[in-house]
Amino acid sequence: MTPPLGESVYEVFARKNRGEPLRHIGYVDAPGVELARVYAWKTYDEENWFEMCVVPRGAVIPVNRPEGPWARNLPEAEEER
Amino acid sequence: MTTPTPLSRHILTLADTKRLLGIRYSDWILGSPSIETGIAASSMAQDEWGHARLLYAMLKKQGFDPFEVEHTRPAGRYYSAPALDRPFADWADFTAAVVVVDGALSVALESFAAGDFALARTRVPKMLAEEEYHLQFGSAWFARLADAGGDAQARLHESAMAMLPSTLAWLLPGDDVYDDLVAEGRVWAAEQVREGCRNRLAATLARAGITLADLEPDRNGWDPERRRGPGAPGEEAVERARGDRNRDLFVE
Repeated sequence: MTPPLGESVYEVFARKNRGEPLRHIGYVDAPGVELARVYAWKTYDEENWFEMCVVPRGAVIPVNRPEGPWARNLPEAEEER
Repeated sequence: MTTPTPLSRHILTLADTKRLLGIRYSDWILGSPSIETGIAASSMAQDEWGHARLLYAMLKKQGFDPFEVEHTRPAGRYYSAPALDRPFADWADFTAAVVVVDGALSVALESFAAGDFALARTRVPKMLAEEEYHLQFGSAWFARLADAGGDAQARLHESAMAMLPSTLAWLLPGDDVYDDLVAEGRVWAAEQVREGCRNRLAATLARAGITLADLEPDRNGWDPERRRGPGAPGEEAVERARGDRNRDLFVE
């Protein structure tokens, strides 16, 4: 889905306990990093998270699946654009 | 009802403001600028009501029945900040209230947590940790509207300027009750509150061209009993705060 005008998509990662791997739990649309952090914390508040991070969707580079949702971030796709 | 002491009146000031702020936030769960913003508004409303509940519970050891305080008082006996008497007209009002009213509340809570009232020392720090997200939300949205210029900036400026004088008076009442609270070691002295207010609000307000240092608390029509300016929250909001429609269903 295309985010509303002026907003970007941020992927949300979190872990419940220290030492657990971060896992992808969802995404939020936000106009910047500050609000992305608030929206992520307030949207995915079903757990008492030990740690949560947001990553701009454009910063996720696929390694082995060039047809996946992040394919547009591959260097070749960048060149085509 | 027990005669309120300075401490119990201070608790009512904080609790009633949080309860009303929660109601005003909840009005924007739907109709805010995005789904994420609405979810944040919902979560912030729940935070405020949770905090209000904890604060009302502190009145128990002050000789009050928290149920009676929460569910029976008329609007004219609410101690809430006047900026919350009416619903927010638009998103600029919402944003201004997060910065001005929620920000002032957090300064008041910081002051209360630093005093010697044991329940405040143990319970308020968690509230303040949750409030950090309100602060981030407020400053980011305030900057966004301020930087947009034009009508957005003008409305934001108007909203914040309408809320600031009465909220500063609510935060810094300058009355005997406040002097007693300081003397009892319950809260910061006024100068420290001003400094806390500057630290929390000044930079954000400056984005919309507002200089906090130029503003004075407005104590016109001051109600010494409720320690706020004239007026009262709207009846519809107070009916919701009291839970009037569910009165026959209370099970606690």
